[in-house]
Parts: sequence; C-alpha cells; structure tokens
Amino acid sequence: MTRSRIVGLALLGALLVVALALPYLGTTSYVISLVSTILIAAILASSVNFLVGDGGMASLGHGAIAAAAAYGAGWASKMGMDPGMQVVIAMGVTLVVSLVYGLLSMRTSGIYFLMVTLAVGMVVFGLAYRLSAVTGGENGITGIQRPAFIGEYWTYYYFLVAAFVLTTLLLWTVSRSPFGSSLRGIRDSETRMRSLGYSVAGYKLGAFMISGTVAGFAGLLSVWHTHFVSPSSAGVHRSVLLIVMVILGGVGTVLGPLVGAAVVVLVENVLSNEIERWPTILGLIFILVILFARAGIVGSIAKLAAKLTRRSTSRSPGGGSPPGTPVSDRNHTAS
Amino acid sequence: MKSTTMSTRGRWAAVAALGAAAALALSACAPPGSAEPSATQEPGATGTLKVGYISPITGNFAIAGQEMVDGWNLYWEVNGNEVNGVTVETIVEDDAGNPEMSLTKAKKLVESDGVDVIVGPLLANTALAVAAYTSSVGIPNLHPVAAADDLTQRQANDLTVRTGSMSGSQMNYPGGVWAAEEGHKTAVTLCPDYAFGWESCAGFVQGFESEGGEVVAQYWFPNGTSDFSTYVSQIQSAGADIAFVATAGGAPGPDFLRSFLGLGLGESQPLLMNCCSMDQATLRALGAEIEGFNSVSYWAEGRESDAVEEFSAAYAAKFDGKIPSANVAGGYQTAALVAKVLEEHGLLTGAELVDAITSYTFEDSIFGRVSFDDYNNTVGPVHIREVQERDGAFYNVPIRTFEDVDQWLGKDPADVLAQEPYSQSFQG
Repeated sequence: MTRSRIVGLALLGALLVVALALPYLGTTSYVISLVSTILIAAILASSVNFLVGDGGMASLGHGAIAAAAAYGAGWASKMGMDPGMQVVIAMGVTLVVSLVYGLLSMRTSGIYFLMVTLAVGMVVFGLAYRLSAVTGGENGITGIQRPAFIGEYWTYYYFLVAAFVLTTLLLWTVSRSPFGSSLRGIRDSETRMRSLGYSVAGYKLGAFMISGTVAGFAGLLSVWHTHFVSPSSAGVHRSVLLIVMVILGGVGTVLGPLVGAAVVVLVENVLSNEIERWPTILGLIFILVILFARAGIVGSIAKLAAKLTRRSTSRSPGGGSPPGTPVSDRNHTAS
Repeated sequence: MKSTTMSTRGRWAAVAALGAAAALALSACAPPGSAEPSATQEPGATGTLKVGYISPITGNFAIAGQEMVDGWNLYWEVNGNEVNGVTVETIVEDDAGNPEMSLTKAKKLVESDGVDVIVGPLLANTALAVAAYTSSVGIPNLHPVAAADDLTQRQANDLTVRTGSMSGSQMNYPGGVWAAEEGHKTAVTLCPDYAFGWESCAGFVQGFESEGGEVVAQYWFPNGTSDFSTYVSQIQSAGADIAFVATAGGAPGPDFLRSFLGLGLGESQPLLMNCCSMDQATLRALGAEIEGFNSVSYWAEGRESDAVEEFSAAYAAKFDGKIPSANVAGGYQTAALVAKVLEEHGLLTGAELVDAITSYTFEDSIFGRVSFDDYNNTVGPVHIREVQERDGAFYNVPIRTFEDVDQWLGKDPADVLAQEPYSQSFQG
C-alpha cells in the first residue's frame, strides 16, 4: 500500500461521508435534487467511461440506451403496471437495445464505431419521436412514479448514493478482472489479440452489454427522479454531453465521471442562473481541459500527485518509486 | 502488486459496507426540512407575489423564448410592478428548451427561491414536465405560449392554466370552418411532422370537414426542412381549392413562402397559413410580396382596439419600432391577467390564484374577450387575418373573427379526451 493510495482512499471515504451527511447539513431539497441529478449523470457517464477507458470505444449512443430504458419504465407506468414491472420492462428493453447496438458495432472500431452508435441512437430518437401511440411523441410520458419505499426525495438520494457506489465498484471490478485486461489488450492492439486467439468481437459485445446495462439502469434512475421522459433524452446532444463529462473528468479514471458530471450539471443548472452565456462557459472549460489537462480533471490531479510524491520520495533515500497507479497508466489512451 | 490489489479491494468492500450501513442507519430518521409546512395566504392580503419565469433564452428556441420574457417584463415596466399593494417580483430562468433542465429550474424556483407561481416554459415537453411537477407541490403554473393540446386535455390538472395562447387544434379549427364557408370544396394540408403539426392540421381538417369540405391530401415535413420546393409541387399537383400550411415559427414560414411564390402559385393557389408561419418575422422578411395573404390565429397585431394599440406602442417604443409577435403577446397577456386578478382580490397564491384567474372574464384584453373552460384553457376569439400595409409596415389585420372558440372543436369534452392523440394517421 503506497502513500498516494492511502490518500486516495481517505479522500474517497471523506467524499462518501460528506455525501451521506449532506441532507443533514441544512441543505434544501433543491440541493439534494441537484446532487441526485449529478449522481445519475455520473452513473451514465461511468458506463461510457468504461467503454472508452477499457475498450477504446467512444459511443455516441448511450444517451439513447438510457432513454430506451426510461421509455420502457414510462410505458409500463402508462399501462398501470407497478414499479416492479417497470424495472423488469426497463431492463428488458435495455438488454434488447444494447444487444442490437453491440451486434451492429462489435466488428467496428474508432470512427466507424462512433458512426454506428450514432446511427442506432438516431433510430431510438426517431422511434421515440414518431411512435406516438407508445411514446407519447414530442410530449413524452409524464407521471411516472418510483417505488414507495424510495418515494421521499432524501430516501431516493440515499438510494442513488448506494447505486453510484455499487455501479462504480462493479465497473471497477470488471475492469480489474481478466476480462478487463483482455479488453485493454484489444484496445491497444486488436490484431495481436486476434492472433493470440481471442474472440475480439465477442469481447466487444460483452463490454457493450455491460456498459449498456449500466446505462439503462441510469435511464431508469433518471425517469424515477424526473417522473417523465421525452425524445430529447434520446437526442445526440445528450450523448455528446456524456462524452464531454467523461473527457472533462478524465478518461478511464474511477471518479472522473462523477467530477465531469458535476461540472456539466452545475454549469447547466446553477451557472445558467447567473450567466446568460453559460453554453460558452461550458465550451471554454472543455477547450481549456483539452489544451492544458489532456488527462481530464481527475486524471491530471492524479498525475500531479504522483509527480509530487515521486519528487519527495526521490529526495528521501531508501524510498522506492511507487508503482504506476492504474489510474495514470490508463490515461494516455484518452483519444 | 497482487497483494496491493487484494488489500485495496478489501478496503473498497469495507468502505462500501460502511456506506451501506450508514445509509441504513440514517434512513431511519428523516433529515430536517423534509416535511415543510406550506404557508397559506390570507385573501385580500398585501405583500409580494414571487414569480418564477422559465423560458428557453439560449439554444434553438432562444428568439421565441426571449420574446415571451419581453412581453411579460414589458407589462410590468409600463404599468409598474405594484398592484393593489402587491409587489410582483420576477425571477427569470433559462431552460435551453431541455425538459430535464426545465424541471431542475422549476425545482430551484420553488424549493430554493420560494416562488408562488411558475410562468412558462415554452416547448410542449418542457411545459408538460413542469406542469406535472408544479401540480405535485401545489404551485400554480401559467402558460403564456405553450400550445400542446394535452396541457389542458389528457394531462390537465387543477393548477395549470393556459393563459396566453390556445391549443394547437383549437387555434386552427376556425380556419377550416372559414375555408369551407368561403366556398372551397377540397383542401390540401402541409404541417410539421410532430405533435404541434399533427394537432394544427387536425384542427383545420375537423373544421373544414364539419362544414362539408373534403381534405384530398395531407403532407408532412420534418423539422429542419429548409427547401420546400417538393412540398410546393405536391400541393400544386393535389389541385385542391385551398391549401392549409402550418409551421411552428422561425425560418420554415418564409422558406415555404419563397418556394410557393417562386413556383408562381401566389396568384393561382388560395392559401391559408397558421399563426406562426405568418407572424411578424415572416412579414418583415417578405413584406409586399405577401400582401393580401390569409392566416388564422388567436393573435392579430392589426386589430383595432385600445388594448392592442397601447401594447404595440409600448413595445415599439422599447424595441426600435418593432411590431409584437404572438410570443410577446402571450407574455404580456399573462402579466395583464395576473395584474387584473391582483387588482380585484389582493395577494392570492396556490389554488386561490388559479380559481381567481380561471373564473375571470377578461373583456378588453389584447386578444379580445377571453374566459376559461373547466380544464383551465383559454376560450376566446380566433381571427382570420389578411396581410395589409399600414404606414409602410405590414400587419395581420382580422377580416373575420370567431368569438368564444374553445378547445373541443364542436365535440363533447369526454369524447375528445377519450380519443387517441393526433398523429399522421389520426386527425379526428
């Protein structure tokens, strides 16, 4: 256990304590609702982050997967089904949609992967928009209720904190597993992995299914938070913002999606109260991060911390240089 | 390295377990402020009416969104924001036309700023999302521009009022009636291919058919269409007595008319357009080329009335002689309505404010005589308008007015609520 590890874990613990204590610190329900929005966006961004960070596959269709799950829950709610059935239908829709995405995109990479996911995302958007008998068209579906036991805004908030911790742990575990290593192998050299006998397409499909399931879960959480869904959730704009969140936070980092989501959601919802030209500010932040902190906010901080530690350890004799943290050794793939 | 990973994993699990345990422990007791009592207002009281105004001031709908805010602000600037001892304080928030953002802003206004009423937003999906939320927390929601039928039909609620506009089908129904009464036997329609377009066309079609007309063809254009020449040729080949064309405002109106005029149909094909395709933006762009063209809308800037003249003069004085559009009028009308009610009752909030508004008959508003139905929707005049020149500027002047138009298109409300939403295949 290195010192930077301990510091990192202490920070994580402190963050979790703050998150758990937040409703008791005199915050209004609005603040809790805002943090809930950040957590949901962070879970969705985590699903993209996993695919980009470990698989090297940048998807422009994850907003649409989340929206498909949300529509599944919304339709079930419109048909008068209970929240349990909403979950079943939402996750069923998610699996089907993710499978379609995965099957269509598993033999592609790079820009072609981007185009395929973009295209399937547009199909989902088109269906949401045009299939008005099921989706309510432009108006969307309103009045979707979450289960009674998380009905209060603050119980739902704790549910979201737990959901975020669990999905982050899940993705982290998958990423550390042999499956994750193989995926990174494919990311770095597809041909080498293929000649070693790996089924590249199979691994990509598997990665997409995992990522898609998390995205669908986020879609369900989102519809339980806002109580409605409309075609704009499935729009390309939403998927692009997800990529922005991931890059802002730091591709392949554990907490990057949370930080990226926080920046985007806060600029969108809080800064816009004060500054009319908030989209410009968001654009400027993005450009600055790309120019001066290619590894994203979290990635750059981790790099900086590693540099400082190395400097201090090299001054004191006997201390070996710390092994490269998994966080920083994955950063160079942020393309 | 292996052992590091293992112990890290152990710690992660410990942290997670700790978190889960803490969450369970904490969830046993609610945090302070989770059950706030809502203050009720004494009738006839003085004080401050806090208004949260949500509008898309950035993004694709920024022009319409800004106009909607301008109309609201203009009323208070001209008449002062103090009525009968009540100060009206407005907080404007931008939603960029995004429903999630709209909802977050509504929560912010209600839960953080403590507003008494939410006005807006503009787009159908944002309006429905906000209306569902505000009704769940007991806050009135007034809609100056939103045209979605469902806002005062299938998804109507007691606290949501359409104050400054009409529903998509309602505002075009009289257009169909008028076209048939003018002696046109057949019609062809062109509307945008989404809810607002389906509703607009459904209104015209039902009005036209109710008077014995026959719709021979319906065409739909996707959002973002800028070249309308194929649609104009389709209208030409349909050979109907009259063409009805609707857009949701912005560039499609002038774009369609340029193709229409360019292919020489201006003289030969009778045409009726809707509110937003023949608004001031179109008139400024095309001017004399479309003099004499007809359209149907609840707003007519060329109507002779003291209220309209006072409003137009104030708007022109503030915005370099510009003539107000329907979006500005909607914002202004909503403000005027709130002012009238405060004038009569003093400070009102919650359901009392809504009751006072919906039981009020606004005799001399900028729209004419306006009242409300049981579903909190505007009942008022719809004008058939003609583009006329006055002192070098072009106005939509009413040539025929249908009074007291409601949203039921001559049917029983229960039947309208029971039918499926309008679409390409279902036009009522």
